[in-house]
Amino acid sequence: MQSSSSCWHCGEPLPAGGVVHARVAGQGRLLCCQGCRAAAEWIEQLGLADYYRLRTAPAQKPAADSGNVSHDAWDSADNARHVIRDLGDGLRESLLLVDGVRCTACVWLIERSLGATSGVVSVQVNAVAQRARVTWRDSRTTLPQILQALSRTGYRALPLDARGLDDLRRRESRDALKRLLVAGFGAMQAMMYATAFYLGAADALDPSTRNLLRWLGLLVATPVVFYSARPFFAGAWRSLAARRVGMDVPVALAIAAVYVASLIEAVRGTGEVYFDSVSMFVFFLLAGRHLEMRARHRARDLTDALARLTPPFADRKRDDGTIQRVGIHELCVDDVVRVAEGGIVPADGVLLSERASVDEALLSGESAPQSRRRGDPLIAGSVLQDGPVFVRVQRVGADTALAGIAALVGRAHAQRPRLQVAGELAAGRFVMRVLALTALTAVAWGIVDASRAFPAAIAVLVISCPCAFALAVPAALTRALGALARRGVLVVKPDAIQALAECTHALFDKTGTLTESTLSLSDVHTFNGTRADVLRMAATLARQSRHPVARAIAAADAGIADAAVCDVATHAGLGVSATIDGRVLRLGRADFALSGKPLVSGYDDAVLLADDVGPIAAFHVSERLRTDAGAAIDALRAQGVTALIASGDASVKVASVAARLNISTWRARVLPADKLAWVAELRAGGARVLAVGDGVNDAPVLAGADVSIALAEGAELTQASSDIVLTGGRLDAIAYARDIARQTLAIVRQNQRWALIYNLSAVPLAALGFVSPWLAALGMSLSSLGVILNALRIGRGELPRTAPRPPAPAASAREAVA
Amino acid sequence: MNILLLLIPLSLLFMAGAVWVFFWAVNHDQFDDLDTPGLLPLDDLEPRERPPE
Repeated sequence: MQSSSSCWHCGEPLPAGGVVHARVAGQGRLLCCQGCRAAAEWIEQLGLADYYRLRTAPAQKPAADSGNVSHDAWDSADNARHVIRDLGDGLRESLLLVDGVRCTACVWLIERSLGATSGVVSVQVNAVAQRARVTWRDSRTTLPQILQALSRTGYRALPLDARGLDDLRRRESRDALKRLLVAGFGAMQAMMYATAFYLGAADALDPSTRNLLRWLGLLVATPVVFYSARPFFAGAWRSLAARRVGMDVPVALAIAAVYVASLIEAVRGTGEVYFDSVSMFVFFLLAGRHLEMRARHRARDLTDALARLTPPFADRKRDDGTIQRVGIHELCVDDVVRVAEGGIVPADGVLLSERASVDEALLSGESAPQSRRRGDPLIAGSVLQDGPVFVRVQRVGADTALAGIAALVGRAHAQRPRLQVAGELAAGRFVMRVLALTALTAVAWGIVDASRAFPAAIAVLVISCPCAFALAVPAALTRALGALARRGVLVVKPDAIQALAECTHALFDKTGTLTESTLSLSDVHTFNGTRADVLRMAATLARQSRHPVARAIAAADAGIADAAVCDVATHAGLGVSATIDGRVLRLGRADFALSGKPLVSGYDDAVLLADDVGPIAAFHVSERLRTDAGAAIDALRAQGVTALIASGDASVKVASVAARLNISTWRARVLPADKLAWVAELRAGGARVLAVGDGVNDAPVLAGADVSIALAEGAELTQASSDIVLTGGRLDAIAYARDIARQTLAIVRQNQRWALIYNLSAVPLAALGFVSPWLAALGMSLSSLGVILNALRIGRGELPRTAPRPPAPAASAREAVA
Repeated sequence: MNILLLLIPLSLLFMAGAVWVFFWAVNHDQFDDLDTPGLLPLDDLEPRERPPE
């Protein structure tokens, strides 16, 4: 039910002044703004008010003018070309990234409300990926109308490139599933036919039945080899064409060799066939790859949020002063664009309006909003705090600072050390030796006893089939990924496990990583009046502004003030003034609040509340340490990892955070390039660096480090370049992840050692002819089974308890950073 | 052992049928989104009506 102080639709605290009333689900409701009212009334009108009963999370606050935003720009052929696919027969399809999908009720609401739109044929919403696939009939509705319907319901939707990643991905995962199933069925059937041979029952069968069983094996193994195993052959061909020996080469060789050898045996109608072994081999390998692929896709869903960072449109001012909405790619240098309050600057440019306040946290790491005056530069991707303002475009598209950061990410990716190459080369060499040994065995037996040459050679090939080797890494990795995912640690690149286990230094970003991403009120000093009174007055004023500092103050006072507020004026970069109960109050920078009266020393950096008489109170607004930051750093330190801080923020703030966390090495006011240089410096000194961050400015450093972790609740762009994503937002999961990673590496080494011992002891026996091929196949299967069972121990055994969750109200943890 | 001549083709037929059914399911979006459908039964709602054509 609605609490008395929060908005019925979005759950945000109600403003003191303009509470809006609406009738939803048979009752009067209090709403915080016109945007919420429009959305709630629209939902009610569609007969979908059940949404409010079903939902488990409050809705996202819609933009004030969400119902009236024009989406017509999507109608232009140039824009539509990218995002609309023609299915033929008058049907069109688009993939939308829907902002604000928070629970199943949102899926329900979107499917219902769009479904009720005339002309919409089908709607599929994926809650996890925040995407909707909409098909509509071209003659009945248009994409702008669909976007309009969505924004009326309170969701912001952005069409994604129709020919983009999604289709490729869908085909990839569908193909993988089909191949896996064919391999599974084939392996089961082949094993059934082979059982007769293994159990010796075939001896009792007449030759024609035995021949039948061989040919049946061939029948079921052929689709496995030619259909399911095709990715291995394709991969092997690609790596050979690039003059490398990838992991696919030995796999493809083994599959081809065993299949061809068995085929020859089947045609000759003598000896043993190994169709079961080859099918099982393919099945195991595909199963491992399939699990890996799913983890990769899931992580990539989140990175589509990248598209949200720059707006698709800009409002260009024509020469005659009217505003025209154009696609971002149509902007040219020297165009003048209008940016609304809360809007995103579409391109790099200079400010034409008097002053503006922008949030550049995503780009510079600076947590406080920056004030800009006429002629100052503005960066694409930064968020305008007040407005509207006019901006003259200077750089567009690939020339913008944001694009520059993206390019840095790409460059850092190219330099990434290829961890797996060594292992793959070793496996490649191993298989080459096995093949040489097989040939040697065949030749040697050919001289001694030609009739035993082929079975002995096949026994060597099968018994040393790199099954256990091939499974050693994927089995352990898959298990580790599963164990980590349950703790909210999403591994995007499996390579990261090894690097995480071996890291010696952990480089943390400060803003949003060690500290919470929103500001909070840390200290109130009253000159005049009680704390509750001044807080109420300040919060009433602060609710009139969208500034993060104002929000922090407003959040400190939950109650609704019934004071009469009038003459509200926000002064960009300075503060807010209003008349409350007949008293003129100002809240903001010290010089603004006191308006010329002598300053009070010691409160230069505080937010002051003052009236015409003098100062009333001073507020210190600060970042708050994450509650588990201390525990996480301690746990890493206990594992012998050195923690470092690199931040774009001011020295004082960084020093204070570092001191509280006992971190002795830190650098402040560093640019992304400097951070990257520091990482390179550390790595040159022999350190293995783990980078932890959440801002876009971290992306290069995340990509340049040996292994990187991003916090998912932060700016989602970094996830594109980070190896690991913490979805739970719990820093102490890092130490747990490192424990698991180390255990995984240990298990991988055990597995490889076990595979090696098995091969070293079994291969000579096979080469000497002591092992019959069926025993070789059994040995191969058992060695693979051993590897898998060993891998299942990961995450199950006794792990050292890392960082028990700190008791929530602990004073030390909640205390703010000054 | 002549029964094998009946049972083996029968098992192969079953397998071919199973593969066909699975391929059909994959091609008809049954495996594309494994997350959302799992959440939907939690809503106790009347079945959704066809959107007006």
